[in-house]
Amino acid sequence: MNLPAPDSAVRPPQRPWTLLLYLMLALISLPFLLPIVWMLLSSLKSSAAIFGNPFQLTAGDLRLQNFADVFSNYPFARQYLNSLSILLITVPVTLLLSALAGYGFARLRFPGRDAAFLLTLTAMMVPSEMTAVPQFLIFKTLGLTNTHIPIVVLQVFSATGALAVFLMRQHFITLPRELDEAGRVDGLGYWGVFWHLLLPLSRPALATVAIFALLNSWNDYFNPLIYLNDERLMTLPLALQRFTDPLGGVYWNLTLTAGVLVALPVLAAFLLAQKQFIESLAASGTKG
Amino acid sequence: MLPYALGMLVFVLGPLIAVLAISLTNWSLLDTPKYVGAANYLKLASDRDFLSSLAVTGFFTLGILLLNITAALVLANLMNLRLPGIGAFRTVVFSPVVMPVVAWALVWKFLLQPQGPINTALQGSGMPDANLLFAPGTALGTVIVIEVLKSVGLNAVIFLSALQGLPREVLEASRLDGANRWQTYTRVILPLISPTFFLVFVITLIGALKVFTPIWVLTGGGPSNATTTLLVYMYKQGFGFFDFGYASVIAAVLFVLILVTTVLQWNLRRRLVFYEE
Repeated sequence: MNLPAPDSAVRPPQRPWTLLLYLMLALISLPFLLPIVWMLLSSLKSSAAIFGNPFQLTAGDLRLQNFADVFSNYPFARQYLNSLSILLITVPVTLLLSALAGYGFARLRFPGRDAAFLLTLTAMMVPSEMTAVPQFLIFKTLGLTNTHIPIVVLQVFSATGALAVFLMRQHFITLPRELDEAGRVDGLGYWGVFWHLLLPLSRPALATVAIFALLNSWNDYFNPLIYLNDERLMTLPLALQRFTDPLGGVYWNLTLTAGVLVALPVLAAFLLAQKQFIESLAASGTKG
Repeated sequence: MLPYALGMLVFVLGPLIAVLAISLTNWSLLDTPKYVGAANYLKLASDRDFLSSLAVTGFFTLGILLLNITAALVLANLMNLRLPGIGAFRTVVFSPVVMPVVAWALVWKFLLQPQGPINTALQGSGMPDANLLFAPGTALGTVIVIEVLKSVGLNAVIFLSALQGLPREVLEASRLDGANRWQTYTRVILPLISPTFFLVFVITLIGALKVFTPIWVLTGGGPSNATTTLLVYMYKQGFGFFDFGYASVIAAVLFVLILVTTVLQWNLRRRLVFYEE
């Protein structure tokens, strides 16, 4: 009997089919790729030219001026900095809190643990938009509206935060308990076991949490919409909708240019770290 | 543990209870809340816009679930082919996932404008009134497709990792038993990846019930409420009309919906998910 070599990857079909397959893959790629490519091309055009042939790019309409306009006529640099600083605070805080809580749920026994975990699962399901009104009142009472504090706090304790705790708990459960015991024998306390033994083994899970926290912080639209009125405090997702003329007409070329500037760092980071990115997602995504 | 628990209590559990309390009042945030008992809840039953938003939420969630999971499974199998350059395909499908939500929505909003490129092209090919995003009949479907294109890459990658983690021996045994490709797929591979299937199902379901930003940016809930989901309706009532009592009732309904689906999921998981150990 002549068995084909077993392999988890599906073997490619015979030659004439390969070409057809590539054609199919290319066709499927179009709706994913075209909007991004088109956005890049349009960011270089004048407001009028983007309504013409979408993929025509003549030297005549090449407008790097858009990039200058975005920064000189609007507080876009400031808004960029706002988004960036919020991100740089939110991600590490989320990582630390979710790892600690995940460790607690996975390893410690205390009364009310299961109820608390159920609450975490609930928080994962509940849209942060739903609790917006009471949250708004809390921050209004504290006099913190129109600051970045609610944006950071709500991001950390949002559904994303709860998902982070869930992922970290699932991860810690997969680590062998003997590690804890060995650590205990060596004289480590709960904190020592967590910090010196378990955390160093958690890089894929931490990476996944960091990715989700990063994307959600960079994308947060609803909370800034509610808390920020001052244009100079606004973050990028809000800023993208403010390239309008006094009558409310949209300057599409500037909007798309700004869109490129918002998307580019994330896309670039993804392209550079693509392999680790997908692997860490995969590593923590499959253990239910 | 403690800081997280405190935060959850103050910023999630507390507000959740507060929402239920506010739902029993009439309140515009500026005046003092007036206790009205179940009046807001009674108003729901006769509110056509609410019933329509409930239906839109249902269609949207079902549409996303069906389209996203089917597409993700197909894409994952394509990504799993051993072809030179398949990495490029994976990257392309995944790249919208890392696009900022608002940027992705704005690009599509532009592409689908009445005089934008897609409608112009459709009109050129003989479809006179193709106005996919701004016609009541097609708006919801269009929003669903845009949202699936944005997020299907994540599910596809999760499925891909499950496919690649399949134990070889089992697949080999199935071939030895004379199973054809289809049988192997439905009887062996699908049960083996059912935990992943469950995970993807849960993530997608919750995500669909919670969608706000893409809809708000793309259509603002229009045309004529065609894309107004519960959450969009809640936002309009609360932060649009300052009727926070009524907004809180809608929030409570959404919460019950989410709770019910969560309980259903856990039961389904017991029955349908196959675990190796």
